[in-house]
Amino acid sequence: MNLRLIDWIWHVRGSLALAPEQSKDEAFDRLEPLFHQGGTSHERANGLLRFSKKDQAAQDKMSIFDGGVLQIEHEAARPVLRYDLTSRALLACFLAPLLFLGFAQLTIAVGKFQTEPAESRSESGKASAKEEAPRPLNPIDKALGAPEPEKPDKDGKDGAKKKDRKPSPTAAYVFAGIFATLYVVGRVLEDRLIKGLFRKKLLGA
Amino acid sequence: MDGVRVGNRLIGADAPVTVGWENIPRVQGGPVKQFVFTWFQPTVLFALIAFWYYAPNSIAKASTAIGIAVGFKVLLLALEWVNPRYESWRLTWKELATDLFYVGLGFTVLRLVDGFIGDDVMIKAIQGYFDWDKFSWFTGLPLLVQAFVISFIFDFGQYWMHRGMHNWYPLWLTHSVHHYITQLNINKGAVGNPVELFLIGLGIGGFFDFLPRAALLAGAIGLSVSTYQHINVRFNTPRWWRFVFNTTEHHSLHHSQDYEATRSNYAGTYIFIDRIFGTCVDGEAELLGMEGGRRMSIREQMTYPFTEAWKSIRKRFARPVAVPVPRAAPPA
Repeated sequence: MNLRLIDWIWHVRGSLALAPEQSKDEAFDRLEPLFHQGGTSHERANGLLRFSKKDQAAQDKMSIFDGGVLQIEHEAARPVLRYDLTSRALLACFLAPLLFLGFAQLTIAVGKFQTEPAESRSESGKASAKEEAPRPLNPIDKALGAPEPEKPDKDGKDGAKKKDRKPSPTAAYVFAGIFATLYVVGRVLEDRLIKGLFRKKLLGA
Repeated sequence: MDGVRVGNRLIGADAPVTVGWENIPRVQGGPVKQFVFTWFQPTVLFALIAFWYYAPNSIAKASTAIGIAVGFKVLLLALEWVNPRYESWRLTWKELATDLFYVGLGFTVLRLVDGFIGDDVMIKAIQGYFDWDKFSWFTGLPLLVQAFVISFIFDFGQYWMHRGMHNWYPLWLTHSVHHYITQLNINKGAVGNPVELFLIGLGIGGFFDFLPRAALLAGAIGLSVSTYQHINVRFNTPRWWRFVFNTTEHHSLHHSQDYEATRSNYAGTYIFIDRIFGTCVDGEAELLGMEGGRRMSIREQMTYPFTEAWKSIRKRFARPVAVPVPRAAPPA
């Protein structure tokens, strides 16, 4: 399979037209401070800047990217910056929903595995609930108007129900949804942020 | 760096920290902003206590508590946006995604594992073995006293577990990962190696019987106090609050790059436990983390305690390497 068809998942590509009079060296000189960060190494040669990052700080403006290439080309007499950046964070976020769907399946499987012992447990649960004495509210709380606790009988039934309850996969489904949304937001947001950052550095005063 | 002497300790000799409340900046801005960020914390605490105290039984349920907790965290994220304590701690997409991954682990796999080997299971096994019933000494006490006892018992246990983690190497290996975070945000409390998250969640509260409403009240105290440990918001926290409760200031000092400062402020909710045992330092820090602020990837966070333990074991039990001793030259 051609990787180019799917590598947009973790690649952020773009281009930015520079001022006509800006030379390659001048443009890279302006961008260079972005690569003077902890955990970042970079090399420049012939209108090309290649960088890689490891354990980059959260405060690094390009922390989401782990490596990439920036290139300045001349198009119709106007220099253009083209970049191709890779992000493991984006890839991980893209795959995270699958992981959480896996957790949901695991939770369901564990619930099935637990069904039988839960039945025998519920009987003993009910028995102990019957023996439970009513638990009155402290007179101070009564005077202040706090609601009385529910009758122990009902408590017992609820307790038994709670004990029988299988582990729920709902949380895993919710997080799968959260990460799917986060990926879409991140892919669009980080694309715009990096373009904005390069533009600010290159065209800013 | 000179550092500041606090009792017998020299705080801030390795990395910059601020010691003493009088040196901590106040909320900047107009009167409305000042008012909101001065009264927000006590108002939420007392409002939540009143809510859980008077809510009818049909509402006073765990599902309501989860709903409130999620809503409260979203509100706090908005406050981080409006009034950050440090610009350098601003939440980025990558930090949010990383934090939420750990929150997700807590709600899914860790919960599943807890169902088999968590404190509830251990306590039930112990009670079953000794044929004990739950200690029901507390159910007759006023609700707020029960709520305080529940949260205090948990926090007291957590204090010693946390202090143990900073003083005993095998436990430290599990906890060290959490200290690689370089900024504080709302969900940073969930970041850590799963082994540590399991250990820090252990409590002995299950040995005691309480009214369900008291447990919900205790949860509300935890939510509206200990959530502020990891938050990037500047508050004018009242003096009494800072004396009794843990704050983001205390906890940022605990996370600072200064070694001696990290060995302070261990409690999660009640900082007075640290005051009692002499481990409290009032102050704050901006530069956080380990190894000069190296950010650890999730992959390394998952494996670090085990790889480091393996390295230590190999070092300890390695055969001594024979080093040839150079022969002394014969006397001329």
